[in-house]
Amino acid sequence: MFIFLQFIIYHVWVISFSLSLILYQTVLLMSVLTVENLYKNYGSVQALKNVSFSVPPGSVFGILGPNGSGKTTLLGIVMDVLKATKGNIRLFDKEPNADQRKQIGTLLETPNFYHYLSAQRNLEIAAAIKGQDESDIPRVLEMVNLTQRKDSKFSTYSLGMKQRLAIASCLLGDPHVMVFDEPTNGLDPVGIAEIRELIKKLYHQGKTIIMASHLLDEVEKVCTHVAILKKGVLITSGDVNEILANEDIVEINSDDNEKLLMILKSLNNYTKVKEAKNCVQLYYPVSTAKLGEINKHCFNNGIVLNHLQLKKKSLEDKFFELTNN
Amino acid sequence: MMHLLRIEWLKIKGYKTFWVLATLFLVSILGVNYFAYNIKQGISQGSNGTVNSFLGSPFSFPNVWHTVTYFSSFLLFIPGLMIITSITNEYTYKTHRQNIIDGWSRQQFIHVKIALIIIIAVLSAIFVFLTAIFYGLLSGSDFSFEKVEFIGYYFIQALSYCLLALLLSVLIKRSGLSIGLFFLYSFIIENFLGAILNNTGGNKGLNGPGDYLPLNSVDNLIPFPFFKGLVPGTQPSIYVLFALSAVFLFLYYYISVRKFKTQDL
Repeated sequence: MFIFLQFIIYHVWVISFSLSLILYQTVLLMSVLTVENLYKNYGSVQALKNVSFSVPPGSVFGILGPNGSGKTTLLGIVMDVLKATKGNIRLFDKEPNADQRKQIGTLLETPNFYHYLSAQRNLEIAAAIKGQDESDIPRVLEMVNLTQRKDSKFSTYSLGMKQRLAIASCLLGDPHVMVFDEPTNGLDPVGIAEIRELIKKLYHQGKTIIMASHLLDEVEKVCTHVAILKKGVLITSGDVNEILANEDIVEINSDDNEKLLMILKSLNNYTKVKEAKNCVQLYYPVSTAKLGEINKHCFNNGIVLNHLQLKKKSLEDKFFELTNN
Repeated sequence: MMHLLRIEWLKIKGYKTFWVLATLFLVSILGVNYFAYNIKQGISQGSNGTVNSFLGSPFSFPNVWHTVTYFSSFLLFIPGLMIITSITNEYTYKTHRQNIIDGWSRQQFIHVKIALIIIIAVLSAIFVFLTAIFYGLLSGSDFSFEKVEFIGYYFIQALSYCLLALLLSVLIKRSGLSIGLFFLYSFIIENFLGAILNNTGGNKGLNGPGDYLPLNSVDNLIPFPFFKGLVPGTQPSIYVLFALSAVFLFLYYYISVRKFKTQDL
């Protein structure tokens, strides 16, 4: 009877403990990474100027910027391989330390492995440093399709294979947070698609992913949040939908666009109308364009539309708009 | 620390350059002493008693501890080379960054390298110890632990050369330049500087402040073992040399650790 009671008490304790852990991660943990007023100088060059943002748990956070904008410098400081000139970093709401890095799978800039060792041996070293069991190695190699080449020396790998091995190393121990710096570098189109699928899959498993990229469509396709860097200055950061699609654009076309423009004057709610090549563009605030109403309005006024399409403003347009001012 | 050393072992286990150099080092220790032993035997057999009395019996116990450590100390640039290649190799392939990223602290990375250096110094001292026993017995003398302290001096020398190699690797980061400077400093620059220093201020030219330069101070722990009465000049005090060796060892350690902990990797 006593043992039975102990058993019950133990399980209640375990369940409440794990529940509080989940609660902590979802509610109390406000930010995976917080960057506050970060500066970094390389001699006279200012690589980062007063950068601040925070990464919410469970997001795919894109750090977007052209080459040399400071993305890798920023992540290097977070990972303690570079020293900040000024400013603060907080990981999981705490001062960063080495044990926290063990809980984060990180690919920074280039795949860094011992060139004279095989993939298997390299991952054994990475697993040992992270404090993960070697038994996880076959799983991660399989995830990036390197199982067959696991005993080849790293120096014999192609650029794409090196990149995939680096991603495998990030996945060791199934960490909750991952940092990918240019994850699709050197990969062929199939490889790029695979990595994007992998990132989406990890996101759906509830992982937080911080991803630096100069590829606009990459960020647009996989990220939930974005920070845009230009020459070391943070231009903007936040929800990807708020930052990138601040306008809905409806493209319409008919056989008589002059008459179409006339009747659009009596249509409400849009912010501006623009005549583009082969179509008329109507601009709306985010998520306010109602295609059915537009169609109905035109039809009621004697215009039959042969083209009606809602377009989010592309990231590329937005990026140029943001960085070229 | 054992866990960190196990990881370090995984790194060097498959590193061919390291093992080729290690093998060369051990073979050279046996070789250089055999060479000296052979010459000694040749001179002794073909000459009269006067030369022999000056030469003494350098390969007999207890002098063999001194003689073997003296000749072996000329080869200490090889473990230095092993240290430089294995550390600059990390810089070249940025694996030092990856180790930190994967969850080592900077302190752990540099301290495990220093632990490796201590192990290498201990192992080379043990090998020299065995070599001395071998030649001592080969020359037909009775085993004795008298003057075995030279093995300890040799250990300090080995530690000093390896820590200097570490310091140069951490400061320079590139293998070619580090190796070049290491050779240039240990073979030429310090001897040159020492000669200049010893010729200033009315010194006789063979002894003086030049004896207390970083490598000279550890080299002088094991002086030239032959013709003791014939060489002019005085041997610097062993206690001063000890103290200086300790200061230099601490400086190598302190600067290397400090540099690694504060620089951009």
